[in-house]
Amino acid sequence: MEQPKVGVFLSDCGKQLSEIIDFDALTSFVKTIPGVALIARGSEFWRGKGLQTIVDAVKSEKINRVVVAESITKISDVNIAQAVENAGLNSYLVEVIDLKDHCAWPHRKTPKEATEKAKAMLLSAIERAKLLEPIEKLEFPALKSALIIGGGIGGMQTAVDLADLGFEVNLIEKSPFLGGLAARAGRFFPTDDCAICIQPPASDVKTITHTSRKCVYRSGFSEIPNLNILTNASVVAVEGVPGNYKVTVEKKPRYVDADKCVACDKCVSVCPVETSDAYNANLSKRKAIYINVPAVYPQIYVIDEDACKFHECAKCVSACPTNAIDLDQKPEQVTFNVGSIVVATGFREFDPSAIKEYHYDEYPDVITNLELARMIDGFGPTGGEIVRPSDGKPAKKIVFVQCAGSRDRRYNPYCSSICCMISLKNASLIKIANPDAEVSICYIDIRTTGREHEYYYERARDMGIKFVKGRPTEVYADEEKGKLIVDVEDALLKRFLDLEADLVVLATAMVPAEGTPELADMLGLDLESDGFFKEYNAKLRPTETKQKGIFLCGGTTFPKDAPTSSLHAHSAAMKAAKFLTSGKIVKDLRTAEISDEYCGDCEFCPVMCPYGAISLQPTTDDHFVARVNDLLCEGCGVCVGTCPLNAIELKHSKPSQMAAQINALMSVNGTSKPLILALCCQECGHTAVDSSGMAKLEYPANVRIVKVPCAGIVRVNQILEAFKAGAQGVMVVGCKADGCHYEVGSEKAEKRMDSAKVLLKEYGIEPERLEMFRMVYIEGAQFAQAAQMMTDRIAALGTLKLMGDS
Amino acid sequence: MPHHNIKNAEDMSFSEEVTCRHGGETLTSCYQCGTCASSCPVARLDPRFNPREVIKLSLLGEREEIVSGDAIWQCTSCFNCQERCPQNVEIADVIYALRNIAIEAGHSPNIYADFGIALVNEGRIVQISKFVEKKREEYGLPPIKPVGLEDLNKILAATGFTKPEKTEESK
Repeated sequence: MEQPKVGVFLSDCGKQLSEIIDFDALTSFVKTIPGVALIARGSEFWRGKGLQTIVDAVKSEKINRVVVAESITKISDVNIAQAVENAGLNSYLVEVIDLKDHCAWPHRKTPKEATEKAKAMLLSAIERAKLLEPIEKLEFPALKSALIIGGGIGGMQTAVDLADLGFEVNLIEKSPFLGGLAARAGRFFPTDDCAICIQPPASDVKTITHTSRKCVYRSGFSEIPNLNILTNASVVAVEGVPGNYKVTVEKKPRYVDADKCVACDKCVSVCPVETSDAYNANLSKRKAIYINVPAVYPQIYVIDEDACKFHECAKCVSACPTNAIDLDQKPEQVTFNVGSIVVATGFREFDPSAIKEYHYDEYPDVITNLELARMIDGFGPTGGEIVRPSDGKPAKKIVFVQCAGSRDRRYNPYCSSICCMISLKNASLIKIANPDAEVSICYIDIRTTGREHEYYYERARDMGIKFVKGRPTEVYADEEKGKLIVDVEDALLKRFLDLEADLVVLATAMVPAEGTPELADMLGLDLESDGFFKEYNAKLRPTETKQKGIFLCGGTTFPKDAPTSSLHAHSAAMKAAKFLTSGKIVKDLRTAEISDEYCGDCEFCPVMCPYGAISLQPTTDDHFVARVNDLLCEGCGVCVGTCPLNAIELKHSKPSQMAAQINALMSVNGTSKPLILALCCQECGHTAVDSSGMAKLEYPANVRIVKVPCAGIVRVNQILEAFKAGAQGVMVVGCKADGCHYEVGSEKAEKRMDSAKVLLKEYGIEPERLEMFRMVYIEGAQFAQAAQMMTDRIAALGTLKLMGDS
Repeated sequence: MPHHNIKNAEDMSFSEEVTCRHGGETLTSCYQCGTCASSCPVARLDPRFNPREVIKLSLLGEREEIVSGDAIWQCTSCFNCQERCPQNVEIADVIYALRNIAIEAGHSPNIYADFGIALVNEGRIVQISKFVEKKREEYGLPPIKPVGLEDLNKILAATGFTKPEKTEESK
């Protein structure tokens, strides 16, 4: 490789820094460092004339490495890297340090010490710069297509959005009909809208009037040419990488040919088999060949495999006027090659039979809100009448029990967030249809936080719905009266009530859709402790995941009402479109590299990698060697820290570079205090150092900072090397437990440091010399305190004696 | 686990005083849903006692009302409330913790003092009646061994248990 010629650009930030740091001494020092080809001093180098100086030096080929000492490094980094790249030098041959926030300001009361630290920092940057290597950019092709898993309101809205934008869209629904949970709910709050509306596709505008919403079946949704809808189908395998996924879908037989069925109902009228109608909460019977409700998509009948007698009966086959029924249909596997996947599997009702004291299993008149919704639906099993399932008589007294299985540490500790509104909606709909009904709602807290939601609560009180503040302890049957009794304390009155009820409606918790863990496993995604899919960042990237090409939509991340699911769906579509639109993924290869020579069969790194980027590949001699997928690798270095054989390094943060930095930082002290090395992750750790400087908080100048990609990269032997290089103490500073920018790095680092302490003891080094800290950006004060604390602690321990020291 | 063990008693709020006691740890999880109250067989019959209210008063720091009041002594330890509490508040155990605080503060119904006195003097809370002895004989069971009173008192002394004093009986 070409001999490194380092250009060093020293900014005094408008003389702010030269009032504290002796810049003449600094310049003289830098001149003595081998490899330095140019030194320039100025007021600023990250923009304007200063930046032009760097560009000119690069263009003239006087220098091929750039070291800049600037303030506001995070902005400077980007500007300088871009300018250097434009001038023809790889942007990874630049090293920017912050002499203001990391040196001059925190150490302004000890200017001599600050000057010595500045020398160490510059030496460290120059030594690192000399070892830097260019990093190339690669383009990966990406298919402009998406697969959406789940045909509920969320999945359908995402599908319309993406299809309107011209992408090839495949929508997969597990059940035979679209609509999901929302369709069963009948109506939506807070508009009392019916639930089968969706946004009409853009292509629809040409033929039908543009309108805010349309029923699914008349929206033109199914006729969008670049939208392929597959019902009765579920995902069985996912392979590939972002931009190129291969998804295997198993399509269950419908036994009815979609192209021939005209939905004439003749098959249903001849079918002799009656079975319980699960879609309608088992409140009515349906035939073995059926359609959910009349207004449904697709308008194609389906045969219930568990109920149908097939060739033993086959009455429907001869009754069908279009020969659409094929009893010999077999399951088939279909493969989709798509660029992106959207998970829209939503949520379901918790099975309340677990709560024994409510006797859901035992008493037919104890039902759930969704079962009640089927009764309220005019298309439902009772034609809209509210009845007691036990005897079919009208239910006049109805008691709702809120938080059945939610906000309950025995089942689901979280608030399902939508059940208060669902109960208010259903209670009000009952009252509207039947003003004489006695309706009570037993609640712990009524939560109506959305727009127009409080109005629902107000309207419910206005209608005469009774509210009892108390969670019932038990529902029992009074057989003499033929009623259920809800045993509850009205906490406000401190009175014990035995509420008589024809119907008890449990507002059950909402839990993740069935098969969520299996799907997460196939997709390489994580679940939260509540069992729902984990988003990439709840605040800023709520529909993205740690897998670049996979997005989340609607209730997959947490129970949501229809407006929020819709919002989420549009966000997921936007994010997927942004990802798909260029047809390629361009990436700097700041990735991990594995040395085949050292790598040996241990399987640690594939397990530890938070992105599933490492796999084991067989070698010719019956061994395995780890391989990094450049597209999936995020360059965090958790694998580097994990590898027991030091066989992995990051291209942009090599052990040799880090060692050179550490040696340099430890070679100049200039204080009477023991040198301490702080290995800070580039996210929260290093920015906490920034913010302590910005806030002009003080800590001693013997604390020296090295920026690493993630605390998870720090290896145990690196700590030993740091002590050998002269550090008297080592701090590792990472993100907070749930705030790690690389999922698990900070957590792994903490564990590793614990084991490092054990090892240090074996080497005769006091374990207190090593400490891990976890903080966020704004916790500059915590960093300054930690630095001071470590300095005091190490000073008290005295000088470190290493084995072999004379 | 509560981390406020290190504080001095006088610096603690009443709810902290309860949560750092054995049995009292779960007090602050309560969100006043009232499942305990409707589960409680005593509360229905006796207006002096409502477990939800006992928890609420403890959370609000009404130490005097709890410690010198009758309420906490009415619990029969049936554990219905504890079984059904959705927040896993160990209500009956919290009440034990409250009773311990009350006893330390010199408040307890005399029957508890009687138990204590009997334990120190005779080594048993419940005396063995002639009837029991006779029944044992009938069933061929050996007579109950006498308590090693001296050893028991050594153990009681080591645990800090002293002979309780009766207070003037309140209504």
